[in-house]
Amino acid sequence: MEAGGRYRDLRVLDAGTKNSTMSGKFADAYPDRFFTPGINEPGMIGIATGMAMAGRRVVACDMAVFLHHAYAHIRAAARQGDIHLVIAASHTGIAVGPDGGSAHDITDLARMRLVPGFKVLTPWDGRQVKKAVEKVLAEPGRYYLRLNRPPVPVFLSEDFRFEIGKAYRLREGDGVTLVACGDKVFTALQAAERLGEGVAEVIGVATMEPLDTATIIASAARTGRVVTVEDHMFVGGLFEAVAGLMAQTRPTPMRRVSLERTFTTSGQPDELARIYAVDMQAVVETCRKFLDET
Amino acid sequence: MLKIPPGEIKETAYRIRRRLIDLTFRAGSGHLDTSLSLVEVWLALVYSDFFRFDPRDGAWEGRDRIFLSEGHACPLQYLVNAELGYFSVEEVFAGNRRPNTPFQGHTKRDLTYGLENSNGSLGIGLWQAYGHALEVERYVFCICGDGEFQEPAALGLLAAPHYLKPAPNFILIINHNKLAQDAAVDLGPLDEVARLYRWHTERVDGHDLDALSQAYHRAVEETSLPSLILCDTVKGKGGDPAWEGRLGRHGRPPKTDEEYRAYVDGLDISRGV
Repeated sequence: MEAGGRYRDLRVLDAGTKNSTMSGKFADAYPDRFFTPGINEPGMIGIATGMAMAGRRVVACDMAVFLHHAYAHIRAAARQGDIHLVIAASHTGIAVGPDGGSAHDITDLARMRLVPGFKVLTPWDGRQVKKAVEKVLAEPGRYYLRLNRPPVPVFLSEDFRFEIGKAYRLREGDGVTLVACGDKVFTALQAAERLGEGVAEVIGVATMEPLDTATIIASAARTGRVVTVEDHMFVGGLFEAVAGLMAQTRPTPMRRVSLERTFTTSGQPDELARIYAVDMQAVVETCRKFLDET
Repeated sequence: MLKIPPGEIKETAYRIRRRLIDLTFRAGSGHLDTSLSLVEVWLALVYSDFFRFDPRDGAWEGRDRIFLSEGHACPLQYLVNAELGYFSVEEVFAGNRRPNTPFQGHTKRDLTYGLENSNGSLGIGLWQAYGHALEVERYVFCICGDGEFQEPAALGLLAAPHYLKPAPNFILIINHNKLAQDAAVDLGPLDEVARLYRWHTERVDGHDLDALSQAYHRAVEETSLPSLILCDTVKGKGGDPAWEGRLGRHGRPPKTDEEYRAYVDGLDISRGV
């Protein structure tokens, strides 16, 4: 909302989900700068790209899973070069819950990591989302913003700094490095607490592309063990990103807390996190077993 | 009205066709047949008296835009822009389809070179052009293929003025050469559907410079509706007569000296007609 006042060239689009993504609030405040082609994701991304090619600052909002429809258009957007385009994708991961597998986007990070030119952001809580939005509106570029469906616990303090491209060490430990992204950073912190003082080091990843390799490598060098935590399929997600990094730089034993290559079921978010073993308990057990084995 | 006499534009058309044949023959690849079908469509547009551009300042805000949605017609785009003074013909021949040049196998956006959009996959550029038209004062033309309208996203654009905004500065040009890569194209009731969705529509002979210019004029003078101009063209026009309007030469330029000769001779014969 504030951004609408600050940036006169800001355009916001949505493809028929404005009451889910909450872009409707912008639509109410700035009807002249809000556009929707209806339930039409390819059209929305195409129009957004064309507006950005006219020098506008453009945000295209949608529920992540529907953006599958627009993948060719997203790739084409990236090929336009120097444009300012933000894709804000809400309702990611199994945290979406009861709407079931058709609505759980658990491959969006993989898809967007495959598109050169896009920065892929995975903020951790509501406060960081706000900071991320401020950054991506201020700095021209192509961005994919992975958002959750509320409610996600707000745990960061107001003064926590946020920079695109930087991972943050949130807790120190020398037994195992937990690398987490999105709302799973909170899960990792809770698990680290449970594992006890000085055991798990927690690295919060808010930028998947480009990944802050130095911070992750430094921590892995200290602990000698890495566990990734994500609400995403392991294929193409945080696990493979970090595993690829380790393989090329500093081979380190790894485990993962992530989703299998499967379609998921309906259920409450907590229930699903338990069923698919991506909850706090799963992180704790994975780490304990890992520490016993190695 | 055309800025220069049709006779002169016909000479330019001949020159460009000849270069298209040479360019694609030398490269051994590229979509000659599609490019040949669009020569008059493109020249009538850039030589229409209303059309504004500045080859020394490709990003000039006051320019009229041409988005190319059927990106495989880029050899023509390169040669027309060379003709307009954005760069030299030699530069096109030296860079065509080579690594890291501005003259890629499909267009890469570069405003300095008058290349408005990166393209390739069909059914996409026209949405970008439409979004662009919502934001700029000048005219936004978008050149599409007829086969492109088999893409649901392209067909869906016809409904955009209804759902979003009419954008009277948006002018969609369809190169109706009736042939796609592997089959003939029948557009069915496309222009009727466009009218139902409140488009201003035109249907013209896509090789008639005066008719094209008049259709473009009526489109830019339209103040409330977007325009769709269906141009009846012949694929491979002005090349080897044996392959004019015939399936089997999509993206396949002459490969042998004999085939090349047939294209050049065909062009010379058609010039006399």
